[in-house]
Amino acid sequence: MIKRRQFIPLFLSGITFSLVVACNSSQPSGTNITPSPNSTTTTSQNANGIPIGVVLAQTSNAALLGQEQVIGVKIAEQYFNQQGGVNGTPIKIVLQDGGGDEQSAINAFNTLITQEKVVAILGPSLSQQAFAANPIAERAKVPVLGPSNTAKGIPEIGDYIARVSAPVAVVAPNAVQAALKLNPNLKKVAVFYAQNDAFSKSETETFQQTVKDLNLDLVTVQKFQTTDTDFQNQATAAINLNPDLIVISGLAADGGNLIKQLRQLGYQGLIIGGNGLNTSNILPVCQKECDGVIIAQAYSPEIDNPINKTFRETYVTENKKEPPQFTAQAFAGIQVFVEALKAVDQKNKISSLSLEQLREQLNQAILSGKYQTVLGNLSFTPEGEIIQEQFYVAQIKMDETGENGKFTYLK
Amino acid sequence: MDFNLFLQSFLNGLSIGSVYAIFALGYTLVFSILGVINFAHGAIFTLGAYFTYTLSGGVFGFNGLLANGKLPFQLPFFLALILGSILAGLASIVLERLAFKPLRVRGADPLLTLVSSLGAAVVIVNIIQYLVGAEIYTFPDNIYGNIPAAINFGTATRPIMIRTVQVIIFAVCAVMVALLTYLVNGTKIGKALQAVAEDETTASLLGINPEQFIKITFFVSGLLAGLAGTLVGSSVSIAGPYFGISFGLKGLGVIVLGGLGSIPGAVIGGLLLGLAEAFVPPDFSGYREAISFAILFIMLLVRPEGLLGRKRIQKV
Repeated sequence: MIKRRQFIPLFLSGITFSLVVACNSSQPSGTNITPSPNSTTTTSQNANGIPIGVVLAQTSNAALLGQEQVIGVKIAEQYFNQQGGVNGTPIKIVLQDGGGDEQSAINAFNTLITQEKVVAILGPSLSQQAFAANPIAERAKVPVLGPSNTAKGIPEIGDYIARVSAPVAVVAPNAVQAALKLNPNLKKVAVFYAQNDAFSKSETETFQQTVKDLNLDLVTVQKFQTTDTDFQNQATAAINLNPDLIVISGLAADGGNLIKQLRQLGYQGLIIGGNGLNTSNILPVCQKECDGVIIAQAYSPEIDNPINKTFRETYVTENKKEPPQFTAQAFAGIQVFVEALKAVDQKNKISSLSLEQLREQLNQAILSGKYQTVLGNLSFTPEGEIIQEQFYVAQIKMDETGENGKFTYLK
Repeated sequence: MDFNLFLQSFLNGLSIGSVYAIFALGYTLVFSILGVINFAHGAIFTLGAYFTYTLSGGVFGFNGLLANGKLPFQLPFFLALILGSILAGLASIVLERLAFKPLRVRGADPLLTLVSSLGAAVVIVNIIQYLVGAEIYTFPDNIYGNIPAAINFGTATRPIMIRTVQVIIFAVCAVMVALLTYLVNGTKIGKALQAVAEDETTASLLGINPEQFIKITFFVSGLLAGLAGTLVGSSVSIAGPYFGISFGLKGLGVIVLGGLGSIPGAVIGGLLLGLAEAFVPPDFSGYREAISFAILFIMLLVRPEGLLGRKRIQKV
């Protein structure tokens, strides 16, 4: 048996290991190599097609989000290759697990850029990963599209960084406006946010500013961690202030639990969920207590264009439910790459370009193109910010059993 | 502080603390017998919750090898809970055979056992994700019957609400600590366990088979982990394969605070950690873990043996 004196160093080692597991659940092996921008000059397409890198969370507590995105990417790969790929050359998706932490995303980016020699990267899943990993792609001059990075400052990371996910500052205020339509008398607002998540922090700033701009009374700001499961303290503290509206910025598991516990502890007012809760994965968490939650959307399955119709049909056939926003955004990201590659190919045959030339021309094509996508018509500013025409607000409707629910779109 | 607010915070603390305590019970049991930290306890805790979910008729999501799968039968929740906990206990025995025994027979340093259990935890968690994906699974609302969602410990005008499932966890925790204390102190098995804990060689000379009792220890620890996993899962959902791992660090803190290897200490440590978190002012709620671990740090400096731990006399 170990002695107590031996225990203290053991305990400290234990804490270190535990933190490694908790914060960094599944890191790919390999060292952190920063590639030289001029390190590769090989051909940009191989026998299997044009390699497009995808870095999405398949492990960690962001895996729920990542799994929805992977479905969008796979549908896109199949669909666009059936349509002839890039003027006859198929695309090849090279998928890397980005985990939920910065280092995993960095490793995945390095692998895709230096070993897989991809022409561009879709990813990573989380904004805080993007702030860490995107500079690597920027230095290597590899175009990156963020599929779900909505925090402030993402396109500003560099010339090669753009996103198909509209910034939170544009999307989030729509939800507060919708809440005011549902209850014009609402006055007191409580805000909750996950303080260990860059996106949630960015989103809550927008929500809090919107609340102030609308002359509503911000009665409390409660913080939590995305790894928290019990919100008894924060929930009772907020409920005691009798808010009419509670706004939550977090992820699916923590946000869903918070909603459930707020309702179980007696809160009856309106609830707005942020973009991290914008997934049907919260439905099994808060069950019947999800009913009525308002969430702003960058996607609606009702968008009326041919590509969304095909995408929606494919998704519903495979998954027996409506496609969520994250799946649609991932699909749109691959579509932008494919259409931009086609534009490059029409100017100069891709096979004649070096990898560096292709990446550079692809980046220019992405930023200058206009696209009819599953998200509607979109284009980009010169900085890489998405210009999207329309946004939506959905409200969750649960059935009587509390087992099934759906996002119904508010007019 | 307003009395109502004090009472609400106090009950919040007991409610949160009972979750930590129930997690730490199995953790401390293995430490008390083998003197090693079983970092895979959180993974067994998760496994127990998944077992119960599966046995009670739960359907898996659309990711993982068992996508949309379910068992052809459905057990009532309480039966599923018992069977799920037993399966977690058996998984814990397998864990002991694979991750602990090979190192123990070689007389390896306890630090290596800790690393080995950590490795086992990561493997178990990844196997779960490979099989059933990262989705969140939730037990139906009515598994405990038609009980109210929350109980008001205050008045109608000044309510002090605590969720009923938390009250159930608190009650089960109290029963478990009583049963476990009886098992360890009041039965022959318990006395044999204590003998093995004291000295394996001497225990074997007295006719006790240490391997047998180590197996029993891991089984009981796994059973408790499985039970705790299901109860906590019923309160906050099974939030993916990493669900139990996040409790690991706190569980470790709890057993240190309560006194290493002390069963009542694990409960007191859990409740104290919960209370420390509950009394963190709302404006600093995001830092409650930092504050509670700072208290733990001070505790370690002042009383390294924990609240109910005994000082060991170094024999020369």
